[in-house]
Amino acid sequence: MKRARVLCVVIAMFFLTGLNYGCARQSGVGQQAADKIVIGAPLSLSGKYAKEGQMALWGAEAIRRWINEVNGGIELSGKKLPVEFKYYDDESKKESVQSLVERLITVDKVDFLISPYSSDLALASAPIADSHRKVMITHGAATDRVYQQGYKYITQVYTPGSRYQTGFLDMIKNKDPEAKKAAFIYEDDEFSRSVINGARAYANKQGFEVVFDKTYPSKPTDLSPLIQELKTTKPDLIIGGGHFADGQLLTEQLSSLEVNVKAVSINVAPAIPDYYKALGVKAEGIMCPGQWEMGVKYSPEAAGKAGLEWFGPSQEDFAGLFNAAANQKPSYHAAGAGACLLIYARAVEKAQSLDPDKIREELGKLKMMNFFGTWDIDETGKQTGHNMVVTQWQAGENIVVWPPEAAGAKLFYPLPSWAEKARGTLAKE
Amino acid sequence: MSLKKYYEFLSLLVFYAVLFFLGLAIPGMWQPVSLIMFYVALGQCFNIFLGLTGYVDFGYVAFLAMGAYGMAIAVDLLHRQGLGVFIIFIGLVLAVLMSTLLSLAVGAVALRLRGAYFAIATIGVNEGFRYFIEGARLWGGSEGIIISGPLRQSLGPQTVNYLSTFVADVLVFLIAILAAFVTARIINGKMGYAMMALREDEDAAKVIGVNVTKYKIIAFVISASFAGLLGACAWTLKMTYVFPADVFLITYTIEAIAIVMLGGAGTLLGPAAGGLIYGILKYYLAIKLPGLQLLILAPLLIIIIVIFPEGVVGTIKKRGAWRPWNS
Amino acid sequence: MFDQLAGNLLFGIVLGAVYGLATMGLSLIFGVLKIVNVGHGQFIMIGAYTAFWMFTLYKISPLGSLFIAFIIGLAVGLIIFYTIIKRLTGAPELTTLLATFATGIFIEELAKFFWGPDYRGYNWDLGRVDLGFTLLSYSKIYALLLSIAIAFLIYLWFQKTKLGMAIRAVVEDRQGAMVCGIDVQKVYALSFALGIALTVTSGVLVTLFVPVGINPYMGHEYTLKAFVIAVLGGLFSPWGAFYAGFIFGLLENGSYTVLSSIPGVEPFSLTRTVTFLVLLLILLIKPDGLLGGKNK
Repeated sequence: MKRARVLCVVIAMFFLTGLNYGCARQSGVGQQAADKIVIGAPLSLSGKYAKEGQMALWGAEAIRRWINEVNGGIELSGKKLPVEFKYYDDESKKESVQSLVERLITVDKVDFLISPYSSDLALASAPIADSHRKVMITHGAATDRVYQQGYKYITQVYTPGSRYQTGFLDMIKNKDPEAKKAAFIYEDDEFSRSVINGARAYANKQGFEVVFDKTYPSKPTDLSPLIQELKTTKPDLIIGGGHFADGQLLTEQLSSLEVNVKAVSINVAPAIPDYYKALGVKAEGIMCPGQWEMGVKYSPEAAGKAGLEWFGPSQEDFAGLFNAAANQKPSYHAAGAGACLLIYARAVEKAQSLDPDKIREELGKLKMMNFFGTWDIDETGKQTGHNMVVTQWQAGENIVVWPPEAAGAKLFYPLPSWAEKARGTLAKE
Repeated sequence: MSLKKYYEFLSLLVFYAVLFFLGLAIPGMWQPVSLIMFYVALGQCFNIFLGLTGYVDFGYVAFLAMGAYGMAIAVDLLHRQGLGVFIIFIGLVLAVLMSTLLSLAVGAVALRLRGAYFAIATIGVNEGFRYFIEGARLWGGSEGIIISGPLRQSLGPQTVNYLSTFVADVLVFLIAILAAFVTARIINGKMGYAMMALREDEDAAKVIGVNVTKYKIIAFVISASFAGLLGACAWTLKMTYVFPADVFLITYTIEAIAIVMLGGAGTLLGPAAGGLIYGILKYYLAIKLPGLQLLILAPLLIIIIVIFPEGVVGTIKKRGAWRPWNS
Repeated sequence: MFDQLAGNLLFGIVLGAVYGLATMGLSLIFGVLKIVNVGHGQFIMIGAYTAFWMFTLYKISPLGSLFIAFIIGLAVGLIIFYTIIKRLTGAPELTTLLATFATGIFIEELAKFFWGPDYRGYNWDLGRVDLGFTLLSYSKIYALLLSIAIAFLIYLWFQKTKLGMAIRAVVEDRQGAMVCGIDVQKVYALSFALGIALTVTSGVLVTLFVPVGINPYMGHEYTLKAFVIAVLGGLFSPWGAFYAGFIFGLLENGSYTVLSSIPGVEPFSLTRTVTFLVLLLILLIKPDGLLGGKNK
């Protein structure tokens, strides 16, 4: 009897396996007709990168619509082909990434890939993309180390981590050469370290004095020990943060411990509207390096002045398309993902081919500007043309204050004190 | 070694073989199959301790992490020595060594505890060790180790791609088979009776003379060593990097528990069934209903726990004798 | 340096009070039902969201939200008890452990589904007190005082009311309690609901300490800390848990000062290692907790 039961179990498992096989068969439609261009990406729609993933999805959709509806498609061999965007949820987990990328490549027959969001997931997807010779543009994988591993087909649309805070340092040095004491308080994780390593090296080079340089573990519930210590070093500026929750926590506790400095630049967290909604007036004057922000001055004219070609919608058009899908304003995650599609579109039109090697070569040669900024990569695929902008919360709006060519308003410096902010002082003239 | 006793193991082998060939034969199925195999292997390794002794090691993922580090450290230190592919073997050996050492240390401390205390102690180990690595900047600290660059330089990109996208998965298959084999041997041998006694009633077992501690330690260490192998192959070799934040996630322990529970703890086929169901569910939910997987899986798990606590395999085996918890 | 140590310890005490109250719920559930609520942190998250929504939508201060959170906690606790926990009496520990974990996951996914993965916060700024060596905001003082007050109220409730005594009776001697006519099932239900209610309420107090960064996944860190505190105080004893909260807070923040004098390390990360080392030590040497005692 027992044997019969075991047999039943085994048969059930075979059945399930067959089901698996059957489902795969159904969704794997024959060959790729050359009547559209498919770009695919594993996106994080749940898990720790859920917010970024959702923004990226909406951004990619917005640009896809622009390419198909406004631009009429991508011109290849005399025909205008529409772009299709395929995506799956990787749940922010590395195990899922490879299976989803393989599905995109073999079943959905994508022509090009956009990486999953974040350096670790991008690294996980690299071997499989590379083995299938699929070109991949990364977004969110800002860590420089990704591009030092020798992958041929991986390129980057974001500014790398090492250059995240260098613009801020330039800006401060330009505005107030006497402000020399810098404090670093940041999350002990791969990405934040890559940013601060770059910032530290640059700060030392530019003559700043690093008076405080400490980390906190991921997901802190209280930063007061660190901040108490920071306060005693009396810095002029503070650079740091990590992700969303701890960035908010850092700001809140700097406020409640009344650590008054001349300028604060926090990674990631102040870039989203949530930040101001959660912190209110406390967020005034806080700065953030951003890959992009509404209000940057990238335009056909700016491109012309910089000697670059221009392609794609204006940022207002992008925001409009984005709003239609998302009912809110786009973040830089959205813009970055959208830019990937634009880059591919342009590269295909210039190379007049879908061959990965030709496209990779074209991506290397391409020097262009779009609503997201400049594209110019080096031989390792790392982005060298795109620059961070520094945004500052001024009177409830996150405005670009650096570099001057992109700025929408003047830098408000120095920061109002926490007490002044509590009384309602805003970071606006 | 009576063949009849190993009937289940042989059918398991057939099942693995089927999966293997399905993965190879259908385009685009290899990675999903390897995802499923990862969960199956995870279940098989975890079952050696959870299923056989009934103890919950909430810090299990630390052993996977140790294995992952073992492989990474081996590559990091030795890639310039011109050892070629042999470096992978050294990595595997180091992985097993490190995870076994950790399990001996943890076991000596934690296995003296019972039930909830044991569970909490093992969580403590997992978390404490992770922050120790980050805090003491051990093995790269929070920045971890990336092996793709060095490996690609010493072995060539094609080989490394092959290792990452195929060999690593084949190794996972092998681990699943080996873990199942070891489980089968234990269940069918004298140790199996001892474990069953231990699981049913530890105090009674002690009274009748079963060396409870010895068997707990054996199961614990074997389970941990396999975890080390799994971490080395499914993580470092496949993903080509180790970041502490990524490998000490308690999520994996929970997945392991869920898989073993789903399939039927203590049975040989259970983890395979559990891994299969879990892997398929995850994969297809990711495709059809992105963003909602956990929202669906969580209540599903609750229902299984409450109504089918023996898991799929266990319930099928006891078909006539299904009784919920408090009848 | 002593200024900093004093500041750290003070914040440790305030935070510890809140952690302690949160852990009381955990220990109560374990003491009475022998269930480890692995989904503990997610209930704190519910409390945090309660405070946020009440303040943002209805301008109710966190003080008012305390009552609302308590009621919500009771309701949720009862629902979970009757749908899940009750069906698991008699099951091995592993099963209930897993059930509470899956419940926790379900709750946070529901939260994400309804409220989105966004990071929320609110601003209930009442100013601060300058203590010389540090600044303490009034909301944190409230958090401390309210934690102590609520813990004390619960203690009185257990000592003086019929229901409270019934619970204590069941913990001490289940058979005896049944003989006395106490409906043990109702006691279990009530204890579970009360434990959850305490946890949800403490979520409101957590936001008094940190009113930002509220998101569906915020609970996990608190669960881990709660385990350490519960063990420190003795898994069976809610009172132990409360006192242990203070010890934990002092340990976590105080050890930072000590660790930051070690060169070449990341002191704040190491404070977490220290707390878990302490956990292991306690489990080995005095598993009944520092303030042990199975009863009360």
